[in-house]
Amino acid sequence: MASLLARLRRPPKSWPISIKVPALAAVLMILVGTLFTNQVLHRFDATQQKHLRELSNAYLDGLTAAILPHLLQHDTWEIFDALERAAHGYRGLDLAWTTVARADGTVLASSDPGLFPVDSRLPEPTIVRFSGGTDLIVSATGARALLGRRLVHQDREVGGIYAEIDIARLAAERNDVLVSLIATNTAVIFVLAALGYVVVRRMMKPVATLTAYLGRGRTGSPERIPDHHAPDPESEFGRLFSAYNRMARAVDEREAMGIRLAEEEKLGSLGRLSSAIAHEINNPLGGLFNALDALKRHGDKERVRQTSISLLERGLQGIRDVVRSALHIYRTDEARRSLGPADLEDLRLLIKPELKRRRQTLKWQNTLAAETSLPAVAVRDMALNLLLNACKATPDGGTISFAARDGGDGLRFCVADEGAGMPERTKRYLEAAATAGAPIEDRAGLGLWMVRRLIDECDGTITVEAAEGRGTRISVFLPTVTAERVRDVA
Amino acid sequence: MPTDDGSSPVERTRLTRRSIVLGAAAAATLARPAIARAGFGRTVKFGLTPVFLTNDLVLLDGLRKYLAEASGFEVELVQRKTYQEIVSLLVSDNLDLAWICGYPYVAFRDRLELVAVPQWRGRPLYSSYLIITNGRIVKSLSELRDDIHAFSDPDSNSGYLVTCASLMAMGQRPEQFFRRSIFTHGHRNVVRAVGSGLAMSGSVDGYVWEVLAETEPHLTARTRIIARSEPLGFPPIACSRRRAHAPELAAVRQALLVMGNDPLGKPLLDMLRLDGFVPGEASLFDGIAEMARIVRSAT
Repeated sequence: MASLLARLRRPPKSWPISIKVPALAAVLMILVGTLFTNQVLHRFDATQQKHLRELSNAYLDGLTAAILPHLLQHDTWEIFDALERAAHGYRGLDLAWTTVARADGTVLASSDPGLFPVDSRLPEPTIVRFSGGTDLIVSATGARALLGRRLVHQDREVGGIYAEIDIARLAAERNDVLVSLIATNTAVIFVLAALGYVVVRRMMKPVATLTAYLGRGRTGSPERIPDHHAPDPESEFGRLFSAYNRMARAVDEREAMGIRLAEEEKLGSLGRLSSAIAHEINNPLGGLFNALDALKRHGDKERVRQTSISLLERGLQGIRDVVRSALHIYRTDEARRSLGPADLEDLRLLIKPELKRRRQTLKWQNTLAAETSLPAVAVRDMALNLLLNACKATPDGGTISFAARDGGDGLRFCVADEGAGMPERTKRYLEAAATAGAPIEDRAGLGLWMVRRLIDECDGTITVEAAEGRGTRISVFLPTVTAERVRDVA
Repeated sequence: MPTDDGSSPVERTRLTRRSIVLGAAAAATLARPAIARAGFGRTVKFGLTPVFLTNDLVLLDGLRKYLAEASGFEVELVQRKTYQEIVSLLVSDNLDLAWICGYPYVAFRDRLELVAVPQWRGRPLYSSYLIITNGRIVKSLSELRDDIHAFSDPDSNSGYLVTCASLMAMGQRPEQFFRRSIFTHGHRNVVRAVGSGLAMSGSVDGYVWEVLAETEPHLTARTRIIARSEPLGFPPIACSRRRAHAPELAAVRQALLVMGNDPLGKPLLDMLRLDGFVPGEASLFDGIAEMARIVRSAT
């Protein structure tokens, strides 16, 4: 009952069908009951009026026969006596008064001589109202009715009978009937509404079951309805339950297929990644083995030895870069640490061997003063990759620039080199958002792929300004993220 | 009311009644079976006027049964609306006897013979009352000018003649003095008419008014007496002088006279609030005769 009341407190649109249908039935019953009550009252009223009219006519007929001879003789006493006898003879009429008057309206006798004294004049409206031959006029309040009859003898009007009836009793009877009807109808409506509620609720139980299972499906896979809940399989609901179970089974199968596909995709990606790493490592391996072979055979020659060692060093450095990138991508420790000014300063140490080897100069500017909410490892790897690429692109003895600052809404840093400029294809790859997940294309290398991926994870933007012969300037903006965002990135 | 011999009619009536009641009681007890046998097959027609409460069917049925039982004759009670009808039937020998009013009795005294006179409150006398609707502030007949006045019957002593005579004494005539006169043909009806307000005043038999005050007080409660006439002869039971000595009339007369001692008759008298019946004297009605003379002379 409490749950029913709680449901009823909600807007009607959200009521369950097991309440809506009985409520609708109850409303219809109320409408029908109201119409029925109205009809009964109307008929009752018409019957009362008919009986009243018949009884009034009988009264006037009887009285006319009794008083007409006396009226002709203007015998006041005999008329009065007849009025008194008639008053006791018509118990169905609550006569307030009856008055007999001559044709000119002069009172001959009245059952209430105090109200209508002998020889007084009847009020003109009383006579006029019955001039049209009407016998019964009910007052506006319905409490009184006025009777009247003009008496004609030998084609000459000799007088009239006028009476007032108290019909409050009829109104009271009508009220009694109304009260009884309303009470009975109300009781019947409530009983039928309750019965309708129980029956419809029972009928709608499969719907409730189905709704509950569908509701559970919103938070996960749809659950199949056990057989003991299922109604007769041949019934409408039975077929509906079967259809639902088939649908749930199909959803399960599709989800399982999706998981398998994702797994396969993951494995595929892993394969592509492994292949790319193997490729990156395998590329310099041929040169390294050649260098080793040259050392074995011509190691005694200074020039050959120097060249081979240099070649070996560069090849190993390339392999080291590939391994480092792979380690950074999949390393999970430190991933949650926030970026501070020291993390950027570390870059100077990390890039120093490469600068020294290429005899290049670094123009360093770092105005980041406080810790940011950005992930330290990701940003540092991103910047390191860009710096290494800049070193690679800049001729030996050239200058590389790095500038970082807190832009208020995030970290802004830019890396500039003096290289020959970035190929347009690579530039598009870097600048095009949401491509980090795409397979690595061409020979862009793991470094740039990782940068793009990290930029995407940080919701950042990257701008490449490259002009033939004037070097490349890469600007990165990484917006400060919320705690939730940090978690997602991590 | 003084009489010629100096004794009051009341004293004479008492003596007469006592002697007759004592003698008749014994005679009736012994003679009833014989009379009953002798009267077999003969019906006595007894006329009634509204001088008493003729509306009580139980009383009428009891009276008929008693008279038949006590007289030994079948008795038929004959009622008519007006005094005139009954008196006409009586003087034309279509009735054996009738309970009429003192006024028609004095009017036809030469053709009627007294059978018995009712005795009320110890005397065969009664008065006429002048009544008004209760609540009116009127004290005498002279203040009733332009009233709608209810009379009982034009041949009634208390219900017409007395008031007429009083008006005549004042030099007035009823049809001029009153705005309208209503004849109700019954003293009870006079009380009803005045009590209801249909009439503003009325002339009524004092005996009837007093009995109504006991039996139907709601009727008299709505009226008030403003004048009582002098005691007058109670409405008598009379017969045609030509049939005065008929045996059935003697038997009925005897039955009336012994009614107070009869177990059937006594309850009837109690209902009528009467003491009994006495032979009565014609002189009881002299006062009425005098008023009749005044009225007659004025017309």
